[in-house]
Amino acid sequence: MKINISRHYLYILLVSLFLFLFVLLFAFLVLIPEGKEYREKRMELKKTTIKVNKYQNFYDETLGTLKDLQSKDRHIIAGFDNIFNPDRFEKQHKTYFSSLSLSKISKVEDENEFAVYEVNTTSRISSPTNFYNFLDAVNKSDWIIGVNFPINFKRDGEMIDSSFTMKVYCNNKDSNATASKSENK
Amino acid sequence: MKYSYITPHKKTPFTQEVQLLISFFSITIIMLFSTYLFLLYKDYNFQKDKNQLLNTQVKLKENIAAMQTKIEYINKQEALGEKVQTQNTVLKDSISNLFDLVPQRITLSQAKLLKNGLILYGITPNKDIYNFMLQAPLRSIFQETYSSFYPAQNGWLNFVSTNYMHDDMNDEVTNNED
Repeated sequence: MKINISRHYLYILLVSLFLFLFVLLFAFLVLIPEGKEYREKRMELKKTTIKVNKYQNFYDETLGTLKDLQSKDRHIIAGFDNIFNPDRFEKQHKTYFSSLSLSKISKVEDENEFAVYEVNTTSRISSPTNFYNFLDAVNKSDWIIGVNFPINFKRDGEMIDSSFTMKVYCNNKDSNATASKSENK
Repeated sequence: MKYSYITPHKKTPFTQEVQLLISFFSITIIMLFSTYLFLLYKDYNFQKDKNQLLNTQVKLKENIAAMQTKIEYINKQEALGEKVQTQNTVLKDSISNLFDLVPQRITLSQAKLLKNGLILYGITPNKDIYNFMLQAPLRSIFQETYSSFYPAQNGWLNFVSTNYMHDDMNDEVTNNED
């Protein structure tokens, strides 16, 4: 049996076959793998978005906690930040004493990452009540100050001479730097 | 010389069939390429978005770590600040209690408050008043109590009362105060 196809149609058939093969190969070798990659990348992006959202929520939560702490402990934080000023201390607290004098400040061993300075204090009070009021005022002062032993009271006529040690706590320079660094962020 | 009655047409390879074929395959190929380009563009966008998200994640992680360090530091400040304030309040109460402890008939001339002890200097009309009204309550507080007397000019007795607390007891008291 002889198939009679004109040359023209034969060309058309060949071109069609070539184009069909091209479409088929392009679809299977390029388009389908690319589609697969697209799906994978879309899934990855979705997973990353969920993960980042979790981090964002945790960040917001931590920031909230930090802000709450900073506003709740404002007085304590400022107390640790302030550098002890003996003149200002004397000015603020001399109302509780007939006389008050502070000796030179000396640095002692650090306590829990904080720098501790010791100040020896001599004073003269008219009654122990003044000393109690002073202890109340120290808790509200601009610094973190602990009145420490030894405390000595000696009667001198109607007055009482007192001497005691105060420990002033403040931020270590290193911790301060870390804190400021984290605040800037 | 003319051999035909019709005017000759110029023959072209783009017959109607070929045109149909080309238009069909052109549309198919354009669709395939546009889909491919769309996928490439989306892939690029996904990658870009992912990189941005990863950068954000790294920054968030760093900020969270910094904030946690800060929170930890503030907690330490708060703990120490409150401890110091409590110690001052306890000290105030202790001194107040000490002066309340001294009966009216005994006069103190000096009081030394130590970390684990108390030394009192004063004057008492006699030993009995001192023993019953001052030494007894001091004994209930301190584990070691020593007293010494020497006569005063007015016939009364000067006394020195030295009282100590053991370190473990002192720690316990301090812990309870905390």
